[in-house]
Amino acid sequence: MRIHVILNLYIFKVKMLLGTLKASKASIALLIFYTFGLLPGLFGLSLTLSNAVRETVDINPCIEQLSSIASLLMVFAISLALRGYTVFEYEQNIILTSPIKPREYLIADTFSNLTSLSIFANPLVIFYLMIVYLLKLSISSALLILLSVLLFTFTLLFLKVSFSIVKSLYRGVLTNIFILATIFLLLFPSAGLISDLPIGYTLLPYPSTFLAKIIVGLVYGLDNLIIDLTGLSFYFLLSLLFFLSASMKNFFPSVSSIPFISPFDTSMRMQNLQMERSIRVFSRMGVISILNPESRSILVFLMKKEFIRVLREGSLFTIILLYLLASLIATSISGSLSQNQQILPYSLTFIVGVYSLTIPLMLVSNWRASDSGNLWIQLTSGMDIYAMVKALLYTFISLSSTIPVVVVAVLSMIYKVNPVAPLILTISTSMIGCSVNLYVMIGLIKLKGIGAPSLLIGLVSMLLSILLLTPVYILVMLELNLGFGDARSWLSIVVVVAYSILITKILSKEIGKNIYNIEL
Amino acid sequence: MTFIVELIDVWKSYNGIQALRGLNLEVRKGEIFGLIGPNGAGKTTTLKIIVGLLKMDRGLVKVNGVDIYEKPYEYKKLIGYVPESVSLPDYLTVEEFLIYSGKIRGVSTKHIRERIDHLTNLFELEDKRRSLIVSLSKGMRQKVAIASALIHDPDLLILDEPFIGIDPMGQHLLKELFSERVKDGKTVFISTHMLDTAERLCDRVAIIYKGQNVASGDLKILKQLSRTGENATLEEVFLKLIEEAEVKSTRDEMLKRGRL
Repeated sequence: MRIHVILNLYIFKVKMLLGTLKASKASIALLIFYTFGLLPGLFGLSLTLSNAVRETVDINPCIEQLSSIASLLMVFAISLALRGYTVFEYEQNIILTSPIKPREYLIADTFSNLTSLSIFANPLVIFYLMIVYLLKLSISSALLILLSVLLFTFTLLFLKVSFSIVKSLYRGVLTNIFILATIFLLLFPSAGLISDLPIGYTLLPYPSTFLAKIIVGLVYGLDNLIIDLTGLSFYFLLSLLFFLSASMKNFFPSVSSIPFISPFDTSMRMQNLQMERSIRVFSRMGVISILNPESRSILVFLMKKEFIRVLREGSLFTIILLYLLASLIATSISGSLSQNQQILPYSLTFIVGVYSLTIPLMLVSNWRASDSGNLWIQLTSGMDIYAMVKALLYTFISLSSTIPVVVVAVLSMIYKVNPVAPLILTISTSMIGCSVNLYVMIGLIKLKGIGAPSLLIGLVSMLLSILLLTPVYILVMLELNLGFGDARSWLSIVVVVAYSILITKILSKEIGKNIYNIEL
Repeated sequence: MTFIVELIDVWKSYNGIQALRGLNLEVRKGEIFGLIGPNGAGKTTTLKIIVGLLKMDRGLVKVNGVDIYEKPYEYKKLIGYVPESVSLPDYLTVEEFLIYSGKIRGVSTKHIRERIDHLTNLFELEDKRRSLIVSLSKGMRQKVAIASALIHDPDLLILDEPFIGIDPMGQHLLKELFSERVKDGKTVFISTHMLDTAERLCDRVAIIYKGQNVASGDLKILKQLSRTGENATLEEVFLKLIEEAEVKSTRDEMLKRGRL
């Protein structure tokens, strides 16, 4: 094994990862935004956790919850091995064709993966330091927690790499059964998330349970942790052995390549690549066609085409997932803050307000990534471009409003709360949000071309949407705090819808004019 | 003589670069016309102005006597266009995309089905009709793009570097197709770097350099203009004319500076 080769390869891979970060100011802004965006939430979480630790007497539920999460992480890592060992295209062309040994490549790859993980996990370091400070942990306890987390992380990485190599080399059914059986076994501790199941898995020697016992033990000042530390170290050594034996095999001819997508790269080319990958994934679910030339109305035809796009690129799936999550958060917030449902309209309105702003941005951004490059087709066809704008807007509005309206209606019926405030917010945010986002997007494409920076588009769209939604926010606050009564509530809905339609009409005309003036 | 494309004194600049400098160009009905020139000469800009993707600073562009600014819808329906780097809706199947192309160009429902059958058969795409465009190779995508440009059977087919990325069989198929269209009285307008192909395929060519039409006509006329002799190839003619244009351009530039 040649150390200098490993080191050079590691440096090369990290430079590839960070090169895109250096190349664009938007990427640096994205990283800073990501770190600082998470900080308030992590600060709140660390305060809540430290308070909970001080008040908790029974530590078993803490072990169960922590081991469940750790076990899910293991399941996620190993399930990635099901696609076999993947390398970036540049690695297959440049590195794997050079006289480098598989083990040298794997070691460099593992450490570069760890580096990229640590860049993304930088808010977690701050979270760890806050917890250490708030709980007044000793240096030795803090270091032991860090060491255990590192051991567990390496175990995960080694297992993922080794299983991937096995999958690449032996593509038979038995390999799949082997990997799936491991995943199934590791799912047992995740049952801890469903707290009522009488499974004593915390007594079983899972690596995730050892990790949870060590962390919780150190936090609560327990000193009999030798067995757990030995158990975790044993799993680490076992995964290392697995890794070392897998790395002896020449798996290079069996790898599959994927396009290089750096998480820091915000360029249009990268967004297109990500969208292409997404279409490939979602098209596996089957291609049902609803586009036929028999449609009499061109508007309906164009809307169907847009609906196919959001379905096949995965946007619809994301919206449904987000709103399922939103309804879970809304009900759990009201459940944890109060025994009655008084708080639900507030939490529901808040969550819907936040989500309704981001969904139009996501829909328009995805359209830009997958379809703005195809504008030449419409612009050279002689079609009425305004019909295209209307089809886009109507599809975005119907998608971003229908799902939240259903969620709000169902939750309001279940918990018997007044749905007026969240409904007002959903409808108006959807209409105004979609038209503002599309207006800003087309305006910036007209000014700066298809490659206009995404972050700038997102920021301008959000600010303009919030500005135009101010009257709606005021009305919703009044409705929530004063309660207008039935007649006034319905009147307020009518007023808000009329206002939203007016804004949408004005902006859609401007979008139509701007599209005509785009130069491609 | 009837011209299907007329460009009169067309100027275009972007990002401080003068791409076209008073370009004049005429394409006759029922011919294969080639636009040739070195990189950055303004070939793609010219095509994009004709199809309406770029707006000229000044000048006049007409297709079949129709002005692009006066009747844009009528004008665009006369043209089928395929750009150099083709971007297509990856999320649609080949058939869906062809239906979409026909629908937005106002082709009737009955004709869309007929044209799709004809074009998929012509481009050997029958077994790919239900495939998503994302799964197609570069050559296949190019074929799909050309099929979509032909869905409304336009009078004028404009293609920017049509032979790049297409295998020899595909190139042969395209050449056959162009000849067939010309026999039917349609016009094909291509820009290309492949001078030997242009020589064999095109009835007439225009050589453009630094946004100006250096020379245009059939090979016989170009040979006379370049004084390269009877046996000269288009490549030799092209190199001679570009060299002369470069000398003229440098002399004009020096004269201009001298006056300043």
